[in-house]
Amino acid sequence: MPPKGRKPKASDATPQTTNTTTSHTNLATTTTTAPPTSSTATATASTDGGPTPQPPQTIRARSEARRALSRPYETLLHQQRGSRLAALAPHEQSAWLAARVASRLARRPALSSSSSSLSGPTGSGVGGGGGQAVVARLACGGGNKTVKEVWKVVNEASVPLRSAAKSIGKEGGGGGDLRVEEFEKRWERQVWLSCLAVESRWFQVRRERERRGEREDKSGDETVVVVTEQEVFEETRRRKEMAALTRELYGGGGGRDGKLGLDPEWDDVQPVVLEEPEGALAAIAYPADYGEAMAYLRAVMQAKEYSPRCLRLTEYIIGMNPAHYTVWLYRAANVFALKLPIPDEMAWLNRVALENLKNYQIWHHRHLLVENYFPAIAADPAAIEAFATQERLFLQKILAEDTKNYHVWSYRSYLVGKLNLFGSAEELRAIEAMIDDDVRNNSAWSHRFFLVFSNPAHATPGVAATEADPKVPAAVVDREVEYAQQKIRLAPQNQSGWNYLRGVLVKGGRKLGTVEEFASGFVKGLGEGEDGEDVLSTHALDLLAEIYAEKGDKERADLSLRRLGQKWDRIRVGYWEWRRKCLEAPA
Amino acid sequence: MPDPSPPEPVLDIERHLKYWKMCLQTPLPHHYLSNEGNRMALAYFIINSIAILTPPPRRRAGYEQWEPETGAHDAEGPGLANLPATLFALQLLALLADEGDEAGAFRGVDRVQTLRWLRRLQREDGSFGEVLRRMPGEAEGQGWFIGGGYDMRYCYIAASIRWMLRGAVREGETGWVEDFDAEGLARYIQRSQTYDGGFAGSSQEEPHAGYAYCAIAALSLLDRPVSNNTAAQHSATLHANIRDMPGLIHWLTSRQFVYLEPPNADDEDSDDEDEVNFLLPQRLADLSLASNTRHVACNGRCNKVADTCYTWWVGGALANLGQTGLLDWAPARRFLLEKMAHRIGGFSKHPGGPPDVYHACFGLTALAVVGEPGLSELDSALAVPVQTVRVIEQARAALLERAREDGARLVEGAMEMGLAMRGSKPAWLTAVGG
Repeated sequence: MPPKGRKPKASDATPQTTNTTTSHTNLATTTTTAPPTSSTATATASTDGGPTPQPPQTIRARSEARRALSRPYETLLHQQRGSRLAALAPHEQSAWLAARVASRLARRPALSSSSSSLSGPTGSGVGGGGGQAVVARLACGGGNKTVKEVWKVVNEASVPLRSAAKSIGKEGGGGGDLRVEEFEKRWERQVWLSCLAVESRWFQVRRERERRGEREDKSGDETVVVVTEQEVFEETRRRKEMAALTRELYGGGGGRDGKLGLDPEWDDVQPVVLEEPEGALAAIAYPADYGEAMAYLRAVMQAKEYSPRCLRLTEYIIGMNPAHYTVWLYRAANVFALKLPIPDEMAWLNRVALENLKNYQIWHHRHLLVENYFPAIAADPAAIEAFATQERLFLQKILAEDTKNYHVWSYRSYLVGKLNLFGSAEELRAIEAMIDDDVRNNSAWSHRFFLVFSNPAHATPGVAATEADPKVPAAVVDREVEYAQQKIRLAPQNQSGWNYLRGVLVKGGRKLGTVEEFASGFVKGLGEGEDGEDVLSTHALDLLAEIYAEKGDKERADLSLRRLGQKWDRIRVGYWEWRRKCLEAPA
Repeated sequence: MPDPSPPEPVLDIERHLKYWKMCLQTPLPHHYLSNEGNRMALAYFIINSIAILTPPPRRRAGYEQWEPETGAHDAEGPGLANLPATLFALQLLALLADEGDEAGAFRGVDRVQTLRWLRRLQREDGSFGEVLRRMPGEAEGQGWFIGGGYDMRYCYIAASIRWMLRGAVREGETGWVEDFDAEGLARYIQRSQTYDGGFAGSSQEEPHAGYAYCAIAALSLLDRPVSNNTAAQHSATLHANIRDMPGLIHWLTSRQFVYLEPPNADDEDSDDEDEVNFLLPQRLADLSLASNTRHVACNGRCNKVADTCYTWWVGGALANLGQTGLLDWAPARRFLLEKMAHRIGGFSKHPGGPPDVYHACFGLTALAVVGEPGLSELDSALAVPVQTVRVIEQARAALLERAREDGARLVEGAMEMGLAMRGSKPAWLTAVGG
């Protein structure tokens, strides 16, 4: 046997090992297990083979070895001959093909009983029953003779008929890298846990029988079922052990299956049930599992417990009701108390956020996490950059689902301030892409205004959003005016663009009249009668009314407002009339 | 040919009452689970709506028996008193006050503790959070953390609670409690106006009609006289702290838009709530056609969809500014009654949707704030009937009266104790009749 530390090869399929190592895989009952008759395979085995055979070290290695053993020709084909069938010797080819056909036959035992009268290969010790002929005809369109041929080849080549599954110790704590001894130990502990669960169940049954006053036959005497103190003591010990084992094997099961009361891990907690009076106001018909979990939550919160099981409990409750502020705050407290890596919590949160788009608490939690995490990366520009990129990608993903989600945009503006992303070209580009995608996305417009005009590089601190800021460079104002105008041309009746344009002018300390020509382009023949007048944008006319008032042309301002109320924007006639009054005596 | 002017719809008060009785008498379905943390709010929606639908002298038999839990104003079990729950609990107490015992409505409310707690929820920048929590690992008395986002709703709620409990007590008088930084709150609100005139959680976010309402109402409550006033009184604080009033009014009135039936209106299964319903006609001039101006909806943000509650947030905000005339009310009312009212009573969030207590309540407040016949007169800043505001005023006065009595008893008690230690009354005390 060659030494096997790494990937096993087809050459593992030697007769010496198959009998032992494949004993509890699902191999068919092959009586003889000869190696592939390929001389190459044997040659390979002998060339790279060492004298001392070593069993596989890890679960993964062992599974793969078994898998390889169960499909010798495939392994040969894929690993040594570059997946070219032609590279196999003719007898290898026919053995490979026959094994494949036969394994299909063997996998359909149902046919064997119903059609036992049909003849099939007997005495071969392979597969089962007389149905193979039918299957074979179906499978390869051949008759009895073909089937016999197939079985003959299979028997002579002694290939295993059933191949081992690919699964590699999925349930094992360390995945496939678990060492074989560890795995076996783990498996023993799993069996032990099952035994304890059975005993515990037995105890519960007895206690139930005792409650019902049942009788039992105890060595001839029929007596009432009584659970002794000793039994109770043992059960307590047992449940503690079960809790410890569950924690060890599965990281704790509490809060996952919704049966906290039955979960040994929660035995030491007395749930705090909220007694509600009959007919309480606004009672909600919530599921029993939720009520139970909340009762446990109250208990651990009162005890100020911060532990992994509490964290799991919050996850469980959040899964049922992600809008409960108390649970979120308590979760944050647990994360901080246990000093869990914030990036892990963020990764978990991403998933929850994508599943609950309209939730507010998720974003508050994220905010808290960033506040907590930021000091750790504050001095490292590369770390901040990496974090910003990661967050931007996530925000992109979630905004793709819900482009105007208020909580997401609030978080985004918070993040810009926190990480100082005002000057970030990526951030500006990301926002432009969103406006390009939907020019009416007012959330994106608002974010742009914040990004550009709250940039500490050129904004005076403390200047309100509605006030002029002399520090903002003219070039920035020019750029933003141009940007707004360009987008307004795409959709003249989109108020987002006009609001932005006006906001930029005020911020830049410019007169509204500087865009009179632009705005006039959307209003034709004002006051020139029903046929002469055309308005492409009520917002343009609205702005023009302000521009005329700014210039002192009260008459034209009044005309603009009148026409808005009379024709172009009748639903706001009350507002336009109010504006007309303001022309006389400003509000 | 459709009738050029169909009759105006009528608010079916009985049908709405039926809906609310159902909400009152049977547990709310599990869809409300996400509001489990805000049960006080749900209760407020239910009781407030019934109060709006049953103005005096209409009898209110059968609703008084549901008393909310008093004292603890946290929405659920342990620990965390919560700002919104506290406001809703106080409003509920006033709404549920027995006739003839209005002054006793706040019996059991710890006025001093509540006001002190309120003060601790204020952040340095003047804004408010919703809960106080100590984070683990901090020493006693340290690490108190103000939970909750930067949210104009908390600012409004803080101003409301302050008005409802504080009263006109001067420093040094019995019952005086140190105030929160009202000027700081006003400044915070002032800074939250956005470039387009609206209000957001802060000026760096997108303006939102709900936040605009909260900002305006909060400012108006900060200097509201303690009694016998209406919400629309002139508030100096309000006018001093809104930097761009024309901009705000422009932004608020811009929330109205012509509601045109979406082309797939027949598709009742379409419950995509974000489906665009702010359609524009082919030509702008078509907006002046009568058939196109029958329904006017409100959105909460620019280019967003119609929603019942925004008719209230916008209408209520304008009412607090004394400007309800700027709403195009007839088509807005038609929109609520013809598009949002549900056949089982209540109002839905979007046209054709099922009713829920939040939208059903704010559909009613929207109607009441503009004076819908048959409904109680509404206080636009506190969002409860005016008669309930009068109850609050009496209940607050009674709390202050009790504080004075308790104060006097305390002084008396101290004297008794001192005398017991001394052994006998001093002669001068007996001489002056003590």
